[in-house]
Amino acid sequence: MTRATTRGGGLPTALKALGLLALVAVVLAFPSMAPDPFILSVGVVIMSYAVLATSWNFVGGFTGYISLGHAAYSGLGGYATGLLIIHTGINPWLALLAGGAVVALLAVPIGIASLRVRGASFVIVSIALVLILLLVFQSWGSFTGGSNGLRVPRPFDTSVLRPEQHERFFYLHAALLAVLLLAWWAIDRSRFGMGLKAVREDEDKAQALGVPTFTYKLVAFVVSAFFTALAGGLYALWFGYLDPIFQFSILVGSYMVLMSLLGGIRSLFGPLLGAVIVGYAVEYFKNQYGDTQFHLVAMGLLLALVVLFMPDGIIPALGQLVQRFRPQAASIREMTAEDLAEQRRTQDAADEAGAPTTTSERTDRETEGVRP
Amino acid sequence: MSLLLQSLVLGVLLGGLYALLAAGLTLYFGVMRVVMIAHSAFLILAAYLAWFFTSSTGLDPLLSLLVTVPLFFVLGVAMQRLLISRLRPATLTMMSVLLTFSIALVIEGMLGFVFSGTQRRIRLPYGGQSLEFFGANVAVVKLIAFGLAATSLLALYLLLKKTQFGQALRATIQHPEAARLVGINTERVAGYGFGLGLATAAIGGTALSLDSTIYPSLHWHWIGPLMAIIVVGGLGSIPGAAIAALVLGLGQSLLQIPLGTTWAQTFFYLALFATLMVRPQGFFGGRLAQRF
Repeated sequence: MTRATTRGGGLPTALKALGLLALVAVVLAFPSMAPDPFILSVGVVIMSYAVLATSWNFVGGFTGYISLGHAAYSGLGGYATGLLIIHTGINPWLALLAGGAVVALLAVPIGIASLRVRGASFVIVSIALVLILLLVFQSWGSFTGGSNGLRVPRPFDTSVLRPEQHERFFYLHAALLAVLLLAWWAIDRSRFGMGLKAVREDEDKAQALGVPTFTYKLVAFVVSAFFTALAGGLYALWFGYLDPIFQFSILVGSYMVLMSLLGGIRSLFGPLLGAVIVGYAVEYFKNQYGDTQFHLVAMGLLLALVVLFMPDGIIPALGQLVQRFRPQAASIREMTAEDLAEQRRTQDAADEAGAPTTTSERTDRETEGVRP
Repeated sequence: MSLLLQSLVLGVLLGGLYALLAAGLTLYFGVMRVVMIAHSAFLILAAYLAWFFTSSTGLDPLLSLLVTVPLFFVLGVAMQRLLISRLRPATLTMMSVLLTFSIALVIEGMLGFVFSGTQRRIRLPYGGQSLEFFGANVAVVKLIAFGLAATSLLALYLLLKKTQFGQALRATIQHPEAARLVGINTERVAGYGFGLGLATAAIGGTALSLDSTIYPSLHWHWIGPLMAIIVVGGLGSIPGAAIAALVLGLGQSLLQIPLGTTWAQTFFYLALFATLMVRPQGFFGGRLAQRF
């Protein structure tokens, strides 16, 4: 049984640790390897996308509620940060956190309204939210700068030159990403995360089993909005300029969905992988076909391909491919009847010793291991 | 007083157009449980085709309907057969949203690529004329658009109520399994239903092109109000969509007097959120709507 579990469960722990180490090394080394400030700034943009996609995945990945309108929270976070600095003059980093908190507060009533409906209606509501915010921020010129945009003051001294600023913001985004990944990982392994995944698989059954589905969904939604707002605020501090058309854009929201779906919404690093691929593609297409609308066509086709052929994402798809070339799991048991009897005996003994938790833990591990 | 009357008349005319477009959306949702985000992109595509037809031949844009309506019908059937029906049933609703969203992006991108982002407008000989109606001025183009919408809604109603195909379509919407049991080929009916929905987009888009300036990203402007209408009316209910379209169109038109055009648009979204708070399944849909 244990052998079957490792086979289905993917890579061994040592290899995983090595991969993680390599990832951290690449991220830390990137700014010194980047040949010029432009590439470095692209790196910051991709990091920002990675933070956004991972934040999105707190709702999309755990509960299966696909929000096309998460740009609402990143835009609000950016504007909240900028407006707080301009109007109250507080420390920019404090403004960033306060902006996140404000957006999290706003997300509570929005979540209560929009999480009452499922599936398609939820997506419609998320789109509507972005459109209404675009309208408000464009029209309310006296407060938000309207269509002229909003200039966000730089958080660093003027002595910090642009390349250095890119480098600092690259590491800041990386740090935020690390926090997010850790939080996602922790939720993934918690009882709370299990409840959210139950919502994703079958909400009615989860409710019948006593999972407080609405509260769980709402908490995940607010956490996701908070992190998305932080990402938006950090981007605003880096870029220094906000325009409603780009901040409250369904396109940005759809990038988050595309990145997460492409990488795999059920895996920790899926959105990050998707962000690297899609982020690079977006920058490339904008660079090459910026004058025409051709980059929209490219993104649309990419999204359609992912939805039609890879709805589970690259990581599971690659896992299945690797699985194909490995020795097939035999339908005949690979342990002798003697071993099996021995295992049963120890299992029964453990059960009788009054440790039901170990059994449930074991079954959890087994079911997780079997599903790729 | 005449300002109020003017708004009322304009609201009814606008509501009629909204009703036609929302009817298409409820058709897709009824037959396939698909929320078609690309509906408004097809609307703009039809408007562009009408503009291109008029500017290259000099004929009336309404004549382009002879080409666009059958073309869109075939496109709709093909879309349902080749793309939508390939999605897994378990995640159909969610994934169809993303799939149709990507179609909308492709259409917007291609329109920008082929016709550039310049704003376009059809010049009509009767474009500036208006009729007086109890002291309210009504532009002729708006009346024509409303007439188109009313005619096609009536045709849609007759098709659904009086023909055998309509009966099969209604049966498929109400209960697909039962429809299959009594021998209806629901696959084919769903394809035709989808084509029918897209054909309404062709008519709506042409009506729209008569009196508005068009540009590739205009469809974002339409998607919100249309989606709000079908949620308020209750997903999948055609009468619900029609009533919601008239009420919201009227409301928007009336609110334009005190608030101005931009803020009046928020009315749709406020109605949407209010509906979710009071009746998440919409005012006319059954419990079906809440699940999707």
